[in-house]
Amino acid sequence: MLRQHIVAGMVLLGLTSAVTVLAGGGLSQAKVAATDVDPHKAFGSKSAPITMEVFSDFQCPACRTLYKGVWPQLFENYVNTGKVYLIHRDFPLPMHAHSRNAARYADAAARIGKFEQAEQVLFEKQDSWAASGDVDGTLARVLTAAEMAKVRALVKGGALDAEINRDVALGQGRRVSQTPTCIISRNGQTYPVVGPQSYEVFHQFLDQLLSQK
Amino acid sequence: MMESSPFNPRRAFLLLGRLFLGGLLIYSGYTKLFVPGMKPHPPVGVALALFATQIDSFQLLPPWAVTRLAHTLPFVEIALGILLVIGWRLRIWSSLASVLLLGFLGVVIRSYALGLQINCGCFGPGEALTIKTVLRDAALAAVSLLLTVFAFLEARASHPWSRKVEG
Repeated sequence: MLRQHIVAGMVLLGLTSAVTVLAGGGLSQAKVAATDVDPHKAFGSKSAPITMEVFSDFQCPACRTLYKGVWPQLFENYVNTGKVYLIHRDFPLPMHAHSRNAARYADAAARIGKFEQAEQVLFEKQDSWAASGDVDGTLARVLTAAEMAKVRALVKGGALDAEINRDVALGQGRRVSQTPTCIISRNGQTYPVVGPQSYEVFHQFLDQLLSQK
Repeated sequence: MMESSPFNPRRAFLLLGRLFLGGLLIYSGYTKLFVPGMKPHPPVGVALALFATQIDSFQLLPPWAVTRLAHTLPFVEIALGILLVIGWRLRIWSSLASVLLLGFLGVVIRSYALGLQINCGCFGPGEALTIKTVLRDAALAAVSLLLTVFAFLEARASHPWSRKVEG
């Protein structure tokens, strides 16, 4: 009987250690530095109780699902009401041939204050440009000729890659490996929400966070 | 003088298997409720809402079912784990554990096959669903099935101490 208890104790101890290793250890709790935020790709109040960094890839279908299914109500009920400060982060995955170029165009559009229009058309027409690679033509649907000239100049300038790489490095530092990944911060604690979500479930999580003192 | 039971591999597997699976299920439920990877631990309400987002990312259930499951599964895992560790009515609880683990395996295989870029949520947040997850869940389901089969076989076998002494 005593032998059985010793074996049981050893098994449980070993099991706990093994599972902790398998589960991947602790979670990253990096804070958002103000200097890391491009004001053209951030929405809502900086003093909002919740900060949400969205690591996204314009060619990723799940990112489009999140954008179309959650964003409209999220902006209406949380961002525009000062509860959530939302920051877009570029995280183009190598598996998507045109996502980095799309990120370049979106960042260029952000520099001239047209990020929202660029984001919308890139997600709305994702199937089309993902197949053809025509990111330029897609953006030209929503920007004027003068705006497109500025965007093209910025894309050709090559400086935008550094911005994208900085976002990617930030994500990797927070163990982001998939898109979309939302790193949600509240009271110094960070929570990763990975993959497509429904607004109903997502807003329950945000409400739980907001109910914390 | 007390006579010790002869070593029986099947009985040894039953003991180790139920302690392993029971401990695993208890730990799995615990991670969903208390998120040991986060310091300080978030309140249980936040942890369960976070777990709900992980279930939701599998894109299998409607939101109301996601919420119900998120608030039920951790407690079911802990209760089932305790019952397995105790070893009482092993045939029933090992069968239930097998159904649960086969269900997990099916969901994980489906998500992996669909190429969903999500977290597993098996032992709290932060674990990407990869082929490693599929293999691990398959191994756990196999252990559980074997445990169930052995539990039924053992129930039919006579206990070594109950053998009649000849002569």
